[in-house]
Amino acid sequence: MSDKNNKIPFNEDNYTHNINRNNERKLDRRGFMKTLVGAAGVFAVSSLPWGVLAAKELNGLGDKKYPKQKITDVSALPIGDAVDFSFPGEHDSAILIRLSEKKYVAYQNACTHLRCPVFWQKEEQEMLCPCHHGKFDVETGAPIAGPPRRPLPEIHVRVENGAVFAVGVKRYEA
Amino acid sequence: MKRSYIPVALLLAVLMLNIIFTQYMVHQYFYEHYTKTIIAAIINVILFPIAFLIYKKGVNVND
Repeated sequence: MSDKNNKIPFNEDNYTHNINRNNERKLDRRGFMKTLVGAAGVFAVSSLPWGVLAAKELNGLGDKKYPKQKITDVSALPIGDAVDFSFPGEHDSAILIRLSEKKYVAYQNACTHLRCPVFWQKEEQEMLCPCHHGKFDVETGAPIAGPPRRPLPEIHVRVENGAVFAVGVKRYEA
Repeated sequence: MKRSYIPVALLLAVLMLNIIFTQYMVHQYFYEHYTKTIIAAIINVILFPIAFLIYKKGVNVND
């Protein structure tokens, strides 16, 4: 007979030894606390890039100048129509809308809710994000319906020599 | 074998704060309030050593 039970408590990590289920004591109080500390660590690490990006923005990235870029010819865009383009980067899709003879507006067309593309609806005279029916005012880019809370970032446009150029990005105020 | 659940509660509170500040940080970033973003990020980072201290204390008391 082994001497296992002669010592009290015998040398076993499992002090609730009358329980024999698998993994019964795997997540005990200490294990749970370890998990929580680990989660706090994950939060801390994942905050760092945001802090760095914000610091970069504070250091003048916000005033960045972009080279002007031709969007379309005036003759190719009838009043009330819209055309998609990319500005300032190749992957920053945007939309240009001609509202009247001389008035053009352009916005970054990623919905400020979940970044679905925003479309121009000629009949309703408003911009629609079809994902969750967010709507934006075409004059200001401000949200007028649906889940988005922030306005679409505006793009400055200029008409020169019968063509429309994108010249800059307005950093929107919220 | 007496154990205290106060450290566990404190850790849960820390994690709640982490979630709150992370959400705040991301939103302030997109609202372009960069100073607030940085403050929230720093708080998030500081919360980690706090959580670690709470864990250390909680374990030592009961061992």
